Amino acid sequence: MTQLPLIIQRLSESFLLNWNLFALTLLFSVPLGLIVALGSMSRCKLVQGPVRTFVWSIRGTPLMLQLIVIFYGPGLMNLPFSWPGGDTGRFTAATVAFVINYACYFSEIFRGGIQSIPKGQYEAGQVLGMTKPQIFVKVTLMQVIKRIIPPSGNEVITLVKDTSLARIISNKEIIMMAGEYTNQGLIWPLFATGIYFLVFVGVLTLLFGQIERKLEYFKA
Amino acid sequence: MTILEVQNLEKSFGDLDVLQGIDFSLNKGESLAIIGSSGSGKTTLLRCLNFLEIPDRGKILVNGEVIFDAEDPSTQREGEVRKKRLHFGLVFQNFNLFPQYTTLENVVLAPKLLAKDRPDYAKNKKTLLDEIDTKGRVLLDQVGLTDKLSAYPHMLSGGQQQRVAIARALALEPDILCFDEPTSALDPELTGEVLKVIRTLASRNTTMVIVTHEMDFARSVSDRVIFMDEGLIVEQGDPQEVFGNPKEERTRKFLARYKETDE
Repeated sequence: MTQLPLIIQRLSESFLLNWNLFALTLLFSVPLGLIVALGSMSRCKLVQGPVRTFVWSIRGTPLMLQLIVIFYGPGLMNLPFSWPGGDTGRFTAATVAFVINYACYFSEIFRGGIQSIPKGQYEAGQVLGMTKPQIFVKVTLMQVIKRIIPPSGNEVITLVKDTSLARIISNKEIIMMAGEYTNQGLIWPLFATGIYFLVFVGVLTLLFGQIERKLEYFKA
Repeated sequence: MTILEVQNLEKSFGDLDVLQGIDFSLNKGESLAIIGSSGSGKTTLLRCLNFLEIPDRGKILVNGEVIFDAEDPSTQREGEVRKKRLHFGLVFQNFNLFPQYTTLENVVLAPKLLAKDRPDYAKNKKTLLDEIDTKGRVLLDQVGLTDKLSAYPHMLSGGQQQRVAIARALALEPDILCFDEPTSALDPELTGEVLKVIRTLASRNTTMVIVTHEMDFARSVSDRVIFMDEGLIVEQGDPQEVFGNPKEERTRKFLARYKETDE
């Protein structure tokens, strides 16, 4: 048990990687998801078709496969591009894979939210002389946000746990770290990692619950 | 004085000819009731007036000015349409209030956005916005909702929501206020309060086009009635004439059906 403070410290340090991957993915995949959503709703078939096919292929294959392909792909296929060496390269590749994957999931949530707004809301804005951007910002946006908060919360919680998949391309995240101790016959660090995830997800659950309550003042 | 003139309006959805050449005109201060069975094209006509549908053929004139001409694409550009449609106000069957705004906010939202286009907006912003708020309160008072200014739509009854929708449409001071079956989505005991508001507007000589299934109301509130069937105006004229002594067989049949359901 003399190892306890050291193990906790190392687990915490490695959880930083999970946190960084989580934060960066969220930061980039939400705006990218909005762009993808707009593409998948485009009236131009040349845009809509490829975008929807792309979303299907990303949502239809395991994130773990995408991580492997994105990290090893350039080298194996002799592409003129390669990831930077060492930890930076592994982490960047993981971030790129996560951002693409989550952007596609978010895009479907956004698309569902936008398309669920009744046509009458747009028409009411139109007859009141509003421009299209005004209708989007002033009329539909809040209603869309209210509708997408619950499914987005789900997605964000899944993302927290998915970050541990980054180990498949040797990112030293918390479960991989705990695994080193398991190899030495020490099992409790593995259980301890669960506590990190539970606490993190707990905080996010409270946060999303609070946002939902804030939006309860209207019904849409 | 003629305020609205509709000439040979036609509209099809695919193979379905919904409007097959509609002509009518409306004088300032008049209220016009449009009756007819479902699918006769009444609502489509109203939606064409409000540019929610683009007619395939025909012209629409307001105060003698051509605001829509199917032959002239320049009257169909988005920016043009946005200005021209302000000649008309529309009250929807399903109210379509904005759920995230209070009653007062629903009424003042569009006028405040439009005020931004005024050249003196930057200078007089505060005064302009205050004026709009004051006017919004007056309008909501007129429809009997002074005590509901800060209520959200979901807290209101259907009748109250529809009265907010009327105030919202009036806030932009349209030349012609259109109603698309304003009481069809309401429980029977709530239609009265909405009809009363429309009656008051009629008594103040608001120019109105009212599509309705309430025959007694259409008869008593309107200065003129149009009966539509299969995309055409079958009969039009003084309400006492059309309801009391219809000339056309189809009008008689339609009105007879209503009498049966009333009994």
